[in-house]
Amino acid sequence: MSNTTTSEVDLVGDETTLNIARAALFAALMGAFAYVSFPFPVSPVPVTLQVLGVFLAGLFVGPVWGAAAMVLYLLAGALGAPVFSGGSAGIGVLLGPTGGYLLSYPIAAFAVGAVAHGGFELRSLSEASVVRLVAGMALGTVAIYAIGVGFLWWNTDTTVRTAIVTGALVFVPAEAAKMAAAIGIVRSDAIRAE
Amino acid sequence: MLSYEPGGSVAHRLDPRSKLLVQCGFAAAAFAYTTPRGLSALTGLALCLLAAARTAPHRALWEFRFVFPFLLAVPLLDGLALTRGVWFVAADAVPAALASYRVVLVALVAAAYVRTTPVRDSRAAVQWAVPGRTGQFLGMGVAFVFRFLPVLRADVGRIRDGYRARLGTERPVSERIRTLAVASFNRAFDRADRFALALRARCFCWNPTLPDLGFSRLDAPGIALGALLFAVAAYAVV
Repeated sequence: MSNTTTSEVDLVGDETTLNIARAALFAALMGAFAYVSFPFPVSPVPVTLQVLGVFLAGLFVGPVWGAAAMVLYLLAGALGAPVFSGGSAGIGVLLGPTGGYLLSYPIAAFAVGAVAHGGFELRSLSEASVVRLVAGMALGTVAIYAIGVGFLWWNTDTTVRTAIVTGALVFVPAEAAKMAAAIGIVRSDAIRAE
Repeated sequence: MLSYEPGGSVAHRLDPRSKLLVQCGFAAAAFAYTTPRGLSALTGLALCLLAAARTAPHRALWEFRFVFPFLLAVPLLDGLALTRGVWFVAADAVPAALASYRVVLVALVAAAYVRTTPVRDSRAAVQWAVPGRTGQFLGMGVAFVFRFLPVLRADVGRIRDGYRARLGTERPVSERIRTLAVASFNRAFDRADRFALALRARCFCWNPTLPDLGFSRLDAPGIALGALLFAVAAYAVV
């Protein structure tokens, strides 16, 4: 191994270091959330916290680093970290029927963050109106389901009807609950992010 | 759980890049030839690849049990024919059933990769494939995710234990979700702040030293197989 001199070391800036650490921890938290599911009264499928994680990534880390966190999450899962639902991993999950939802996370996190913060910069969330927050999360949800259902339809060679029923309608009540939870979290100032 | 296990199989000794090539080529071929003949040939190949990785197919299948409800539901719903006086038309379910089976095959091959490739090798492959700072970010980010996943899982587990001990499970679901999310995010943010400080103290840089990747003689058939699969898939598309 060769000796390294000071001039060869290319240090990462302080702010970037914090953002990288947050993006990586957020991605790992998404993985931890994959193991948590709640029974939800009106939904036939158990509710996981992952979509809530996507919302909060866009809101608290901002559109750019929120999307970066989601990319890390997907890449780590593809390379073998047990971060997909129930602890599965590998490219097989991304190319499977539910892969579209996963692949849409970076886009959704970006959409949520960009609308809520009104641009690419991370601003204080207390200044953002509820309308902005709801609009951002609604756009994010639309992105997740449009890409998810489209992928399910293409992946399983099914009819559009079947794809929409199995891929979207059964999840709708739970999504509304998650949006309400996200707004409650943002408004209560419970997360010490800034 | 599906993760890397040290071993001496042929797949263990291959370069991660040739394994990724085979994996992607296999997926491309499976999507190009979703026919009974194509998929039966690929089944044979998938079993050979699993054998080369010394991974038992039933173990790999068990890891993917969570996608099976989807894979079963879709062909069944497609075959359902409520208007024609019969309940089920098998011919309508065939394309969806083939597509579902294709997903199983791709998942099996992916499981072989995950089982035989250490994280550091994957990271080196990512940084080889994506040059510059983007590749560095992806490489180190993935390594951090692997490092912190068990930590944060334990955090979330402790929060849930505490909540359960205080009879929090009696509360409405929306409140439980909110409490858990707030507590876990705060822990994660605290950890991120401390982690960033620790990284800075250790001269966190864009150019750390990684294991050298090198192709061996064993990789030649691997690369040839991957390239062949891509060529076959491209032939079907054109």
